[in-house]
Amino acid sequence: MIMVRAIVRPDKKDSVLQELSRAGFNAATVVDVVGRGKQNGIKFGDIVYDEIPKSLIMVVIEETEKDKILDVILRHAKVGENGSFGDGKIFISAIDEVYTVSSGLAGL
Amino acid sequence: MKEIIAVIRMNKVGPTKKALVEAGVAGFTALKAIGRGKVVENIEIIADRKKQLLAKTNPEDPKAEQVATEFLDGRGLFPCRMFTILVHDEQVKTIVQAIIKVNKTEHKVGDGKIFILPLVDAVRVRTNEHGDAAI
Repeated sequence: MIMVRAIVRPDKKDSVLQELSRAGFNAATVVDVVGRGKQNGIKFGDIVYDEIPKSLIMVVIEETEKDKILDVILRHAKVGENGSFGDGKIFISAIDEVYTVSSGLAGL
Repeated sequence: MKEIIAVIRMNKVGPTKKALVEAGVAGFTALKAIGRGKVVENIEIIADRKKQLLAKTNPEDPKAEQVATEFLDGRGLFPCRMFTILVHDEQVKTIVQAIIKVNKTEHKVGDGKIFILPLVDAVRVRTNEHGDAAI
């Protein structure tokens, strides 16, 4: 199993979540975060904004579904045809075990 | 070293904190989050609670039924609490069981998930200790 953590624009959050649900990945956890990327934030003259609001979407899935979920996120988190700076990043990490609290059993 | 990420109900935060301390966890981080789970396919599980919810709403509101269903069957997002706990390998089992024990409800769905991730390294800022000593 893998955990996909996608940092996306807050205004793209709803459409990404909707498309994820449509593609069969209904379960997700969302946290509002602030951060900066490679551009070191946004500069307007002397003023630097380096705490840009983003949404962090966490989804845990089977490894075989990785390409499918990446395709969905990459397609719907973009602004414009070729994407723009600040569209976000996707991190993928390994998961050893998963437990469901309601049943107490291991597994997704 | 392992990282345990537990997503649980908002109203179970108090008991969970207590259980974690009793299970011997040194520290943890808690965040507010919103989340949803698997779509509930068996409608009978949520039928009772749906009736209770609808009894509290305005019967003339056309959206009430849809909102109540989405809230219960996992299509809508609802607030939850995300715990991040760093533990030693041998503690994982006891802590997972402790979290499950206090968070289980009679509702059968929506109690949350627990993820266990491998951890490469941890550093204590104060002393610059690495690895297991830092936890």
